[in-house]
Amino acid sequence: MSLRRSSALVGAVALALTVTGCGSSDGDKADSGKGETRVFAADNGKIKIPADPKRVVATGYAVPAMIEAEAPLVGISSWKRGEPMMSKKDLATYKKLPKVAGEAASETNYEAVAEAKPDLIVIGVPAPVLGDIDVKRLESIAPVVAIGPTVPSAWRELSRKQADAAGSLKTFDAVKDKYEAKAAGLAKKYKKVLPGLKFGHVGAYGEVAKGTFQREFGRSWGTNIAEDVGATYYGKVKKPGPGSRAVSEYPSLEELPASLREADAITYSVNADGSVPPSVKYVMDSKLWKNLPAVKAKKTFPLRYTEAATYGQAMQTLDAIDTSFAPLLKR
Amino acid sequence: MTAGGRTAEAAGTRRAVPRAALLAGGLVLLAAVAVVSIGVGARSIPPAEVVRALLHFRGTDDHVIVRDVRAPRALLAVAVGAALAVAGALIQTLARNPLAEPGILGVTAGAGFAITLGSGVGLAAGQTGQLGCALAGSVLAALLVAAVGRRSPLRLVLTGVALTAVLNGVALGMRMMLPDVFDAYRFWSVGSLAAREQAPLALPLAAIGVSLAGALLLSRALNALALGENVAHALGAGVGRVRGAALVLITVLSGAATAVAGPILFVGLMVPHLVRKPAAGSVPWLILYSMVLGPVLLLIADMGSRVLLPTGEVPVAIVTAFLGGPMLIWAVRRHGAGAL
Repeated sequence: MSLRRSSALVGAVALALTVTGCGSSDGDKADSGKGETRVFAADNGKIKIPADPKRVVATGYAVPAMIEAEAPLVGISSWKRGEPMMSKKDLATYKKLPKVAGEAASETNYEAVAEAKPDLIVIGVPAPVLGDIDVKRLESIAPVVAIGPTVPSAWRELSRKQADAAGSLKTFDAVKDKYEAKAAGLAKKYKKVLPGLKFGHVGAYGEVAKGTFQREFGRSWGTNIAEDVGATYYGKVKKPGPGSRAVSEYPSLEELPASLREADAITYSVNADGSVPPSVKYVMDSKLWKNLPAVKAKKTFPLRYTEAATYGQAMQTLDAIDTSFAPLLKR
Repeated sequence: MTAGGRTAEAAGTRRAVPRAALLAGGLVLLAAVAVVSIGVGARSIPPAEVVRALLHFRGTDDHVIVRDVRAPRALLAVAVGAALAVAGALIQTLARNPLAEPGILGVTAGAGFAITLGSGVGLAAGQTGQLGCALAGSVLAALLVAAVGRRSPLRLVLTGVALTAVLNGVALGMRMMLPDVFDAYRFWSVGSLAAREQAPLALPLAAIGVSLAGALLLSRALNALALGENVAHALGAGVGRVRGAALVLITVLSGAATAVAGPILFVGLMVPHLVRKPAAGSVPWLILYSMVLGPVLLLIADMGSRVLLPTGEVPVAIVTAFLGGPMLIWAVRRHGAGAL
């Protein structure tokens, strides 16, 4: 290789490293080192972060939580699944913010993250998915805290932690208090009808192509907010796995009678617009569903917004539960 | 008639009884495997209850599972297995190429492209939409290949390969750009017989039934074509007409099978090879045997798909791929490459 070619190659590598944020020039970093810092316990260890971050990048489940907490965001990942549950104001903020990553963790655009010049990066993806992200590369841009979901009901603690990392607890606590007051009001409203019922839930993540349905138990997506109102979901997963697998399972449709025969009432997930997703429709169209005691007793209840992962979103879920359970009060 | 032809006919007459006996044995095996298949599933149902569900339906959960879930699935396995195997026998005879399989006409790629496109514009939502898109895509692709390559077997194969590459490339690009479309496609792309009991299957199954009968009617004419075009002309066979009819049958059989079950590739390639030896050069027997062995293999693979993993089902296309490779190697070792 000639000297000229070697020089060109070295120049190109240096340029690429600088552009992608791998360079260590102080000029590329935000002024995080100038302010106060604190140590924050996250999934990826104890991380030194700015005490009062000014430029935050959020991904995954951290996106809706931090928009709602009015964190000083400068970049977010795409989060289409949460759009139907966002308030008008939050949706406008979400649309306005630069997208530095796609829907999947593997679609992180490191150059865009560097360009946003964050002083804190909050990654809200499950621990197994963290492997899809080059955390070291992000750490060369700003401190990284990973706060990912575990069991679905843990959104309460996780969203609080995410807001805390961004220094936005005040707004967070205000929304949380509103939620808890509303849930307590509904629990009082349904006090006479819910405690006597054993609930089962059919979730939206069954796979029609495999002939399975999603049976959700307590603390799962479809059940955890209804539990705050006083619904009791019976049973547990046969072979618990990590994350949501600890509170939901995917049996064959043939096992529908065994799974839900004991239920006095059944709730099922529907889309935000009220339409029934194909995986739930597959269950409801089968004769096995029509044979279930709860179905014969007409005690089936559609639930919207079951994917809520923030207190603001969960307020909408409470409204949806109230609408769905209302007929119980007339019986 | 040539001396060779008389010899083949004489050999055929001598073998007529064993071949018929073999066919009868195959039908008994098919019936047995179908009954066992109805007895296997995620929920344990005693054999006596399975029989009662079939003969004296009372509407209990067990009876509903047998009649409404497992029996339609077994029927689907029989139809799809027969359709793919016979389509494979027809295309191998027509193309005079032992490596030909129904997908070579672009049927699978056409269906996959249509599912991708349909998902993108919202037409392939739900089982009915997917079925319609897959059927339309496979028929259109096969028609295009047949129109361009109908004059020679080699041209037919090359056109099919080229169209498959183009459609797969465009569809892949669309799926990469649209994550929702990719999600819809990935469930369809691995062929399975699970959860098809609620899909509108009457029309595709009827099309398969009529096409299987058509394949049997056409098989004698194909016997002549298998000897080469010049010999077929000399024997008075209408080469163009026979080839056109065979193409229509292959398109309908593989298109309908792919539409209802997704791509299950190995059956169409493998089954004709497994029955070629006992068929002894007779296309009618090749088709008859394929019609029986295809369903047997698919029913066995489908049972395997239900019991192989304790965590749930494996799509049947994966099981046929696992079974298909070793079986094809076995056929080559047992009968030699000449059998292909």
